[in-house]
Amino acid sequence: MNVRFLLVGCCACALTAMACGGAAVPQDALTAAQADVKGAEVGGAAENPQAMLHLKLAKDQIDEAQKLIKDNDNEQAARTLDRAQADAELALSLAKAAKAQGEASEASDQVGQLKKQINK
Amino acid sequence: MIKPRLSIRSAFAALVCLALVPSLAACGAAIPPSELVDARTAYKRAAAGPATQLAPAQLDTAKQALDNAEKQFASDGPNQKTKDIAYVAERRAEIAEAEAAREGADRQRSKADKDFKSTEMEGLAKTKDQLEAERRAREQTKAEADRNRERSADEIARSKDEINKTKAELATEKAARAEAEKKAAAAMASLQEIAKVKEEARGVVITLSGSVLFATGKSDLLPIAKDKLTEVAKALKDQGFKSLLVEGHTDSRGKAADNDKLSLKRAEAVRDHLLTQGIPADKIRAEGLGSTRPVAENDTAEGRANNRRVEIIVTPEK
Repeated sequence: MNVRFLLVGCCACALTAMACGGAAVPQDALTAAQADVKGAEVGGAAENPQAMLHLKLAKDQIDEAQKLIKDNDNEQAARTLDRAQADAELALSLAKAAKAQGEASEASDQVGQLKKQINK
Repeated sequence: MIKPRLSIRSAFAALVCLALVPSLAACGAAIPPSELVDARTAYKRAAAGPATQLAPAQLDTAKQALDNAEKQFASDGPNQKTKDIAYVAERRAEIAEAEAAREGADRQRSKADKDFKSTEMEGLAKTKDQLEAERRAREQTKAEADRNRERSADEIARSKDEINKTKAELATEKAARAEAEKKAAAAMASLQEIAKVKEEARGVVITLSGSVLFATGKSDLLPIAKDKLTEVAKALKDQGFKSLLVEGHTDSRGKAADNDKLSLKRAEAVRDHLLTQGIPADKIRAEGLGSTRPVAENDTAEGRANNRRVEIIVTPEK
């Protein structure tokens, strides 16, 4: 009687696990995505409209991934975190590019001003 | 008869439709999701842009991401997993573009920095050149001022020398004039010792008595007369004069014509002796006036003696 009960219990657990997709909680991916968001913020993503858009997308996707984790849909959560990480990385790249372009433009202006000053 | 034919056709059409439905369904599975379409477009754009040169590693990552998406699409069709992987692939392509833009800007900035430095150096060199030119100009101005000052000093010194020279010349001249005046005074004094000297409107008149100069009725100078005339000549030369007129005068005895002749001869004798003493010929002339201009009465012997005379009229230098 006890042995039969145990066997039924185990089968039930296995079935439950199968229903959950069987994937582990993507904790590393979550941490990485959050770190990338932080990095993008520090990198000045909030100062550039395009970068800010992707930063928001990344944050929203992290929120969504966390909900999916709660719902035990870890596989979709992992892919959503991949998306979030890609957006966070893009936000940082855009912020850096904008900053570099601003600096390059400023440097060119300074050269122009200096030349003008010299040739006065 | 017609109805059954129609129903057969309808049945055939229904069969064809039934056969097509699964194949249409299969075609629907081949339509890529918008995420994959976007990812392809993004990669194509990135690969055609500067990312090939400026962000090759990121572009390669984007390519791998797109390949994954394509594989996923080929095996599973347009499901959520395909969409998610394609979404990431699109972002990878965009990241490659952004990194290329950043690298491009960084290079532009490096070039601008180099340009700034070289321009700065150029500016410094130019400023240095300008300063050098200004310094040279200042030195030139100073040198010119120094030269002018030296020239001025020289001119002042020269002017001083000239003034001193003029002063010296004036002093010398003054001394010479004093000397000449002294000589003239001495000459006049010595003349007065040997002859009567008086100043008249026509000049200084030196009167030599006829008895001192000539024997009665003669026109040859006596030896003593020559000595006296030599002294007179010396005194005249010392004093200086413009011209001399030697006039011979007689008393009224005898014929006037004889007297005229005698007086001229005597005047000429005196002139000739003065010429031998260095009086220039163009400055002296002789006239015989006979008894026409007596200075005393011819009644007395003394008066006649005074009338017999030779006068030398001296026109002084102006």
